[in-house]
Amino acid sequence: MNARILLIEDKAGLLDTLKSLLELHDYAVITARNGEEGIAMAIRHLPDLVISDIYMPVINGYELLDHFHEHTLLCKIPVLITSAKKEDDEIETAMQKGAAGYLIKPFVFAHLHEQIKKALKRNQQS
Amino acid sequence: MDSTHTSESSSLLNNASNVIAITAHEFKTPLTTITSIVDLLSTKLRIDRYMNPFYEQQLSRITSEIFSLNSMLDEMLTINNILSGSFEAKKELLYVEEQLLPLKEQFRSFTDDNRTLQINVSGTPCKILANSGQLTRIFSNLVSNAFKFSRQNAPVVHLSYEDKALVITVTDDGIGIPAEDLPHLFQPYYRGSNTKDIAGTGLGLTIVKTFVTANDGDIAVSSEPNKGTVFTLVFRYPDTCQ
Repeated sequence: MNARILLIEDKAGLLDTLKSLLELHDYAVITARNGEEGIAMAIRHLPDLVISDIYMPVINGYELLDHFHEHTLLCKIPVLITSAKKEDDEIETAMQKGAAGYLIKPFVFAHLHEQIKKALKRNQQS
Repeated sequence: MDSTHTSESSSLLNNASNVIAITAHEFKTPLTTITSIVDLLSTKLRIDRYMNPFYEQQLSRITSEIFSLNSMLDEMLTINNILSGSFEAKKELLYVEEQLLPLKEQFRSFTDDNRTLQINVSGTPCKILANSGQLTRIFSNLVSNAFKFSRQNAPVVHLSYEDKALVITVTDDGIGIPAEDLPHLFQPYYRGSNTKDIAGTGLGLTIVKTFVTANDGDIAVSSEPNKGTVFTLVFRYPDTCQ
């Protein structure tokens, strides 16, 4: 069965393009436009992996990581963070909050795909 | 009156600095969207068996230009941080080699030729006291220039652990720098007279010089047009080799 990915991004253009790319690589994709919607979708669909932006309205990526960490159903789901911020403290904060990886925007899909495969493999092994 | 005026100027400068920082970051999402659209087109062309070397080359050129634009944005952000005095100053003891290895991977992915950065080491490794992010930036800028201004052989970074200091050279066999440009090379917005057709902001080496100085290092450059360029950096060890 193909892995199911929840994609959370507030910029519609990027959300649509990444969704199409992931689908062309045989992933089943569900989407959300902010952290709050993302958490609701995650509880409803229990995806195999989440890809989330940090700076979004309502609930941001850091708060989303906190919610996932505290939630019994969501705490095992790997979350990859994407962000334009490349400062060490931003990356450290995301990793300390349990992110499975951190991609700096702009990125090429090959790098994202590599991180997706690694995170899914790690999760299967644990 | 004077103090009010100074405070207003300072506030204006801070606001301008914030606007630059926010705008530069905001540019990154559309850049990611464009890169992803190129990836989407490439994938679809491959799946539908329409991909050919011409399409592949042109799509790769779009991605390469996007990353050039992104480097310019990063330089603008860094200069903005330097001018507003908000760049990080935290230093730690670290091995320079560890900072260089991720760059090797990075430049393998983003260059459109098959060259790979060469890293050579001589002597017994010692740690230096430096800011990790700034050190990465120094080498990223120098190595990026070395790739950009050469086409034949891969750039070489040599780390030589001497008695009292680490001497690093970044060497390329590229277009070189005319002698009349050398004294001005680290000035903001200054670009070599033989680089008019090559993209750049003229800020990269200013950032390098600022960060080398901020980390108590020295930098020098020697070059010969059409032969190549060598940047030499010296970082003294703390009291003992660790």
